[in-house]
Amino acid sequence: MKLTLRRAPLLILLCGISHIMLAQKVVVLAQHLYTMGNGPQGQPGTVFIENGKITAVQSGSRTPSGYIVLKAAYVTPGLIDAKTTAGISGAYNIPADQDQDEETDPNTADVRVMDSFNPREMLVAYINTYGVTTIQASPGISNPIAGQAGIFKTVGPKTVGPTVDELAVKPVSAIVFNLGESPKRVYGTKDKAPTTRMMTAAIIRKALLDAQAYQKKWDDWNSSEKKDASKQPARDLKQEPIVQALRGELPAIFNAYRADDIDTAIRLAREFKLKFMLSSVTEGYLEPQVMRQSGAAALVGPTLQRLGSLETSNASLENAAILAQAGVPVALMTGFEAYVPKNRVLLFEAAVAAANGLGFEGALRACTSDSAKILGIADRVGTLEPGKDADIVLFDNDPFEYTSHVLEVLVNGKVSYQRP
Amino acid sequence: MAMTTCKCFALCVLVLLAMSLAVAQQSTSNDANANGGSDEVLVVRGAKIYPISGPPIEKGVLVARGKKIEAVGTEGSVNVPINARVVDATGKVLMPGIVDSHSHIGIMGTPPPGGMGDVNEGSGPVQPQLRALDAINPDDPSIRIATTGGITTANIMPGSGNVIGGQTAYVKLRGHTIEDMLVPSSIGGMKMANGENPKHYARRNLAPMTRMEEAALARSTYIKAQEYKRKWDDYNKQIAAGSKDAKQPERDLGMEALVQVLDGKRIVQHHTHRNDDIMTVLRISDEFHYRVVLHHGTEAYLVADELAKRHVPVTLTIVDSPGGKLEAINNDFRAAGILEKAGVKVAINTDDNIDSSRFILREAALAVGAGMTEEGALRALTINGAEMLDLGNRIGTLEHGKDADFIILSGHPFSVYTKVLETWIDGEKVFDRSNPADLHYATGGFNVAGRYPKLEPAVVGEAP
Repeated sequence: MKLTLRRAPLLILLCGISHIMLAQKVVVLAQHLYTMGNGPQGQPGTVFIENGKITAVQSGSRTPSGYIVLKAAYVTPGLIDAKTTAGISGAYNIPADQDQDEETDPNTADVRVMDSFNPREMLVAYINTYGVTTIQASPGISNPIAGQAGIFKTVGPKTVGPTVDELAVKPVSAIVFNLGESPKRVYGTKDKAPTTRMMTAAIIRKALLDAQAYQKKWDDWNSSEKKDASKQPARDLKQEPIVQALRGELPAIFNAYRADDIDTAIRLAREFKLKFMLSSVTEGYLEPQVMRQSGAAALVGPTLQRLGSLETSNASLENAAILAQAGVPVALMTGFEAYVPKNRVLLFEAAVAAANGLGFEGALRACTSDSAKILGIADRVGTLEPGKDADIVLFDNDPFEYTSHVLEVLVNGKVSYQRP
Repeated sequence: MAMTTCKCFALCVLVLLAMSLAVAQQSTSNDANANGGSDEVLVVRGAKIYPISGPPIEKGVLVARGKKIEAVGTEGSVNVPINARVVDATGKVLMPGIVDSHSHIGIMGTPPPGGMGDVNEGSGPVQPQLRALDAINPDDPSIRIATTGGITTANIMPGSGNVIGGQTAYVKLRGHTIEDMLVPSSIGGMKMANGENPKHYARRNLAPMTRMEEAALARSTYIKAQEYKRKWDDYNKQIAAGSKDAKQPERDLGMEALVQVLDGKRIVQHHTHRNDDIMTVLRISDEFHYRVVLHHGTEAYLVADELAKRHVPVTLTIVDSPGGKLEAINNDFRAAGILEKAGVKVAINTDDNIDSSRFILREAALAVGAGMTEEGALRALTINGAEMLDLGNRIGTLEHGKDADFIILSGHPFSVYTKVLETWIDGEKVFDRSNPADLHYATGGFNVAGRYPKLEPAVVGEAP
């Protein structure tokens, strides 16, 4: 055996990595398997994994040969946080690590989360240790038109390597609009527009109208026979994502807390025929039927919302339950936290929702299968079914009990976290 | 007709006044008799009781007479008076009312009126003359919300924006005036802070800009307090010796409160996060020989042995995740267990609105999940906090002679599915989850109760 000096560091590195990470074939045995799709719900089950994908799911627990075996009392799909600023709003909460709000222009449709997302941010690793394997990272709540969200896998303490681009499930997943107190507070203190909710809505409508005009210019040029290069319209990065939204190619997310702000969102989305979701929706429980009839899915949360502002002072722990009961598609989210803690943990938010009307399976759906459907990523994640990414969480007891522990987290079949 | 109504009204007011005076007098005198406002006897039976002063009682009985606990024990072992009001709590769990040793309910405002409301006096870093009780609104919804989390007593404090923030108030969460709320004969603590927060003055080019200056401000203030105390001691000695021309020193409200600290009558309730900030607190409390409780103590687990050796208690604020503050970056759920194991007295607080009072049991459960014993966590919610407020003789356990402050839970205290069903203070129910008006303070939307849609029973599932 000749060991060249060049190879030595690599070998040392590999020895330090869990053997499971290198294994191609893994099997997960569960006493209570929640596939959240076809297959066992709460009964014993087995999940087979090869090359990062789920190859088979079976009832009962059998230990096949040739597989690395992981066992746990409860096994669920990796959790999906439907909207968070983790990755762009850093743990230190100092200017150096805060990249969620470009507060220089109320319309920053051109900014993309992927250009600020730090997969090695400590809070990303932290939520990974609580089973969150996929997040929709969104710009913050300051700008009426905040920019482009993206959906990423999370990196845990044991994850090695991937770049932002490799982690992206959808590099651009939505364009985010903000209503309510935040935009007027941010710009009001600078004596700039908007200082009222009226102006926030006007800014959004004008941007949508401008994008319609921009789209027409391009349509005209594209349909012109000569395609005269000298007459080609200039590209405008602020217009392009809004045009995509107008065409129904990019969903819009309207973040709103107060019930009348939710109404404003629905009004604007209808005027421009946008495909849209509503997020936060703190007072959604006051008008569940209005929300249901809007056809929009609700990204609800955080359950433990502080009563720290007028628009959140009516937050109800039963919000998600009431909306789900009314037939609104519900995904749970943690959103944006300005202070301590710097972000919230989806598992805890879901636990409180579970205990306040949503129930165990309802809460689990709202952060796995339903969330994946709502975000348009159900082909990859959200259930434990053949063909899906092997994003799996192993618990030693009821996932929602505070005294339970996450034993292991798998992202793409690799262990990202192992309980020490 | 109008006259009659008017007279009638006046008469009513007089009668009411007389009655309330009588009640007030009676309660004062009865409190001295350790008996309570009335002799009404209350019996709660059937629950699993965690008395904290002893092991859990599977099928227990609690007997309260007026405001005080008369007896706690197993069914059959306790003398149950006839004609008692009986509450059946079969299958439920009963424990002492929770003591929140660090809270800003009633003083922060719900929602906060912008900025920090009345929590931090921003005109200077040394404010020992301020009293939280002058800014607490007994009608603020946050107080009623806290009772839904099982909290019965709170230490309501000024914020951490000042090196010396002011006098804290030890209150029961009932009553319509702050005077009703104050725990009888308590004087509260003295809020102090070091680390990042008091450095906000730097933005205005004012002191303190550094931790060094924070320490210097604290020390120079206590040196002044020592001098003030000496002047008054001299004066009182001269008077006691019969001196006719002794000159009375000028009164100073801040110094008076700090002399109570130096005399050991008022505990310093000290906001501090980083391990070196904690050691600074101890260095200064050693120098001036005052009693101190560490609040937050995020990195206390890094100096656990030192704290155990010195018998310094810590009241921890457990939050959802680390981050948000440089000095709190090492926040770790394991802290409570590590401190407990090292022999440090630990309490768990909300710092409401950092954590919500509705979820104080949850904070303790998270600590248990990360290694604290269940017994230790129950003590951290009750007697340990009470002792950190010098109220250990009055509240914090279910024992003969203590205040009848207790809560009834639907299940195990640390299960996410458990609900606080009832909260009792001084033998009176202040929260009842089965009352719809109360429920909205527990779940939210208290402001819009009239518009609150009803959940179908099928959806309000409990444990799976």
